[in-house]
Amino acid sequence: DKVHAQPAAEKGGETVITKSFCHQCPARCGIDVYTTNGRVHAIYGTLDNPLSNGKLCPKGHLGTYLLYDPDRFKGPMKRTNPKKGRNEDPKFVPISWDEALKTVADRLNALRDKGESHRFALLYGRGWGAVDAGLHGTFGKLYGSPNIGLGHSSTCADGSKKAKLYLEGTYDYSAYDYANCNNLMIFGASFLEAFRPYNYNMQVWGHLRTKAPKTKITVVDVHMSTTGAAADRLILIKPGTDGAMALAMAHVILSEGLWDRKFVGDFKPAVQPKDPAEPRLPPHKFEAGKEIDPALFEAKWTHGLIEWWNAELKDRTPEWAEKITTVPAKDIVAVARELATVKPSIALFERGPTAHTNGVYNGMAIHALNALIGSLWAEGGIFHQTGKTPWGKLDIKSDDFMDDYAKSDDRKQPKIDGVGKKYKMASAQIQRIGEYHMKGDPYKLDTIMFYLTAPIFSSPECNTWEKALQDLFVIETSPYPSENAMFADLILPDHTYLERLQVADTYSFQGYPIGMIRTPAVKPVYDTKFYGDVLIEIGKRIKGPMGEYYKQVGNTENIVKAMAAGFAEKPGDNGVNDFESFKAKGVWYKKPVAYRQRGGEFYEWDKETKSHSIPMDAAKVKEKILKTPTGKFEFKAGYMEQEKYAGYINEKLGVPIEKVGFPQWVPPKYTGTGDLHFISAKLPIAAEGRSSNLPHAIAMAQPTQGGKRDVFVEIHPDTAAKKGIKDGDVVRIKSKTGSVEAPARLYAGVRPDTVYLPYYAGHWAQGRWAKAAVRTQKNSVNEVIENVSDPISGLACYYSGMCSIEKA
Amino acid sequence: MVIDLEKCTGCQACTTACSMENSRLPGEHWQDVIFYNEGEHPSAQMKWFPRPCMHCENPSCVAVCPTRATYKAEDGQVLVDWERCIGCKYCMIACPYGVRFYTEEKPAYGGPDAKRVFAADDGHSWSPPWKGPAEDWKHGVGVQPSDVVSKCTFCYHRVAKAPKGTADLDPQNPALREFTPACVVTCPPGARMFGDLSNPNSEIAKAIGNKNGVRLLDQLGNKPQVYYLTGEGGAVPANRSLPPKKA
Repeated sequence: DKVHAQPAAEKGGETVITKSFCHQCPARCGIDVYTTNGRVHAIYGTLDNPLSNGKLCPKGHLGTYLLYDPDRFKGPMKRTNPKKGRNEDPKFVPISWDEALKTVADRLNALRDKGESHRFALLYGRGWGAVDAGLHGTFGKLYGSPNIGLGHSSTCADGSKKAKLYLEGTYDYSAYDYANCNNLMIFGASFLEAFRPYNYNMQVWGHLRTKAPKTKITVVDVHMSTTGAAADRLILIKPGTDGAMALAMAHVILSEGLWDRKFVGDFKPAVQPKDPAEPRLPPHKFEAGKEIDPALFEAKWTHGLIEWWNAELKDRTPEWAEKITTVPAKDIVAVARELATVKPSIALFERGPTAHTNGVYNGMAIHALNALIGSLWAEGGIFHQTGKTPWGKLDIKSDDFMDDYAKSDDRKQPKIDGVGKKYKMASAQIQRIGEYHMKGDPYKLDTIMFYLTAPIFSSPECNTWEKALQDLFVIETSPYPSENAMFADLILPDHTYLERLQVADTYSFQGYPIGMIRTPAVKPVYDTKFYGDVLIEIGKRIKGPMGEYYKQVGNTENIVKAMAAGFAEKPGDNGVNDFESFKAKGVWYKKPVAYRQRGGEFYEWDKETKSHSIPMDAAKVKEKILKTPTGKFEFKAGYMEQEKYAGYINEKLGVPIEKVGFPQWVPPKYTGTGDLHFISAKLPIAAEGRSSNLPHAIAMAQPTQGGKRDVFVEIHPDTAAKKGIKDGDVVRIKSKTGSVEAPARLYAGVRPDTVYLPYYAGHWAQGRWAKAAVRTQKNSVNEVIENVSDPISGLACYYSGMCSIEKA
Repeated sequence: MVIDLEKCTGCQACTTACSMENSRLPGEHWQDVIFYNEGEHPSAQMKWFPRPCMHCENPSCVAVCPTRATYKAEDGQVLVDWERCIGCKYCMIACPYGVRFYTEEKPAYGGPDAKRVFAADDGHSWSPPWKGPAEDWKHGVGVQPSDVVSKCTFCYHRVAKAPKGTADLDPQNPALREFTPACVVTCPPGARMFGDLSNPNSEIAKAIGNKNGVRLLDQLGNKPQVYYLTGEGGAVPANRSLPPKKA
């Protein structure tokens, strides 16, 4: 007998696959969105896409849920409760889009009438190209504010980009030829958890671990993460000291004669005595503690090696580094030898070493290894993006729409984030804006708008933003009830990514250009509006020629179509040559990487022979590849030695002016007074922070840290014993700036001097599951983290804080 | 199915792909990955173990089912007929692999019960807006009714449509991709393979032979149809040897 009878099937149409790209991390994997009867029910990686290759990471599949999150905002709203606080209900009431957009435009016009347009700031996180973040520049220029489009890169990974800029002259992330690499060393980048492009990293991992020869992988971190556990060798290092280890590795590589002579250069032969009876002189070499005459060395693609040795490296022995890093000298020697001999090899780093006060110098020390072993632009090595997606553009010149107000010298106000003034070398400083606004330094803001960023949760000392946002008119564009939203005066909810038409380039992962398109898989589920169109609609409502400009632009769809028209002359490798074919395939790409270095010579791609075979002279290399003052990889970075920066570095870090350009050891400044280092890295299911309200994600947060309803504080059993903490006890992590509570997990895979709590839980908004009463952690880990930045890169020092820990 | 532990990165994309393809409740991990750790650095170990239903040749769950709701399908899958299942959970006790789920468990993730938030009024246990179009209660496919046991079907609704006699379902082959189980389609490091074990020329049969394919708790005699390749990488846990049973 039937106990249950299957209900009659829904009368249904066909399943349609829409091409799009994922939004849950910056990698931008191409996705196939499966829709039946107007409902999205599955997402898979696009097969014909060089990043996703048909695969997806765990987050990618959950995008469906992000579309149907029951806590999404259903339309524009305004606040009716004037009081702002974590426990204040904003008492939002729905309003029309017309009213919402007019409210913003009225404020913006009023500021302009008073000559105070600089008091409108627009902060953003993840930009996705020309039709969202790409609109900021023109908007700011026409409106007249230096604060339109203040990015969050200083809470992301600016440190690694700056280190590469100084050494190589390119301000960008790296591209990597993992597939051909035989030895991979990973410093503080959670390669199998949060390092982009996560999906592709895992694809290549499967290959690296089973190819012949198997790629040797070493991980340097502060606890055993998934990446460390999966690697061949895990080295647990004292936080912030990765640079010391890298310098000692460089010392070993040079003193043992293991550097790549064809790329770096070599000693000239020793000049032998004329008298054949005199004893023969040995070849020149690097000897610990001994200076060398720079004239004895003939450099190839590097600059300043001997000067670097004399000023820094000669004393950076493995024994010296052991005292600083706690890594045994013999291990440092072993990994250095391996890196320089089991080739091709790559020394990769990201936020771990760079989110410290000495972050740029740590990064430079690590990246310098890539030059010493000749990995730059080599097969199986590390390089940068070449080529650009041939986007077209709308034929409307924004400069023609600047009125006298926008052109006036009065518009040359300093930025609210201090970039260029207080932070001379930084590109962003989002984490300081709240504080500067409160101090009125250099002025107070009036209106602040957020797009895909929430410093009130994600910035160091994030709770200061709860004060900063009190007297500001706050506009939030997230479709989700974020912490920002709880302090917002106006909600202009964006479409989720499955509802948008949007184009973007990927980062420089593969080294060749990849342009992507999102096409809406369904009509908007609610009364939301794509952020790019919100900006354009606000622009249309600004008085004067600015309004005219945006009327001519019309909407983001016009921009997207104009951009895709650029493919007509340069079709992609997959045949994409116009808007329709772009929508059908979802991606345009053009292989290969334009340049390669082989045996110390650079070659350009030859279309005829389909090989990197056109030799490049020094001038071409300087123009295209090594864009430093010398056209070489600079172990003595000319960029930093410029007068405008050298004095600044000296003042901030105490580095002697004549030494500022060298990768070098600068001790990290640990902030706070506790006895333990506090580290808050990301879990794979949560990286990029879009999954806090997904019950599916919460149910699988792994491994030692997570599980079901709570995330855990990793504490070494010895440390826990000293403090009387047992497994499962709720503990309080305290610093000068705040505290956070979570259950303890005794874990011998973390350093005894470090506690680790992932940056994941602790939401007090963001939806019913994110803030469920059952969760032990009630606030952001960032309340414990002091707001200190690397003075050079501006990167927030997330990992430099000390804390104390006690049973709660 | 073959799972190469040397490639597996423990990312759980199999878990989420399965969850969405099969409209699973949060935490109802038909494709689970189990993490465990022991020891102290530098000899500490953290490991993970992907664990689907083994679709045993000799399944203990089938033997104990009082209503014949759990059965062995023609192509070798072990399936649950939800129209017959009475939710007695005998099969959950009998299964040595812990891969069966009862719909009415309390939510493990904390916070509101997703079954109530996305409530159904038509005999389904819940009705998520993203539920897939495939529904086939006779084969345990789709959103289940209340009070039944559910489990991995090896994506029966996909695999059953594959051309008969296909040796391997390779998701990188566009012609076979839609017939391949969701976890195999998505697995980023390519750790999963799916094919016909009875065909000695299949890639999975070769992989088992070439790379030390082993089965979990083989000594129990269930003869799983999921093989693990250990290579130099992971190990199959708790594979203790027991004295052979008398014939």
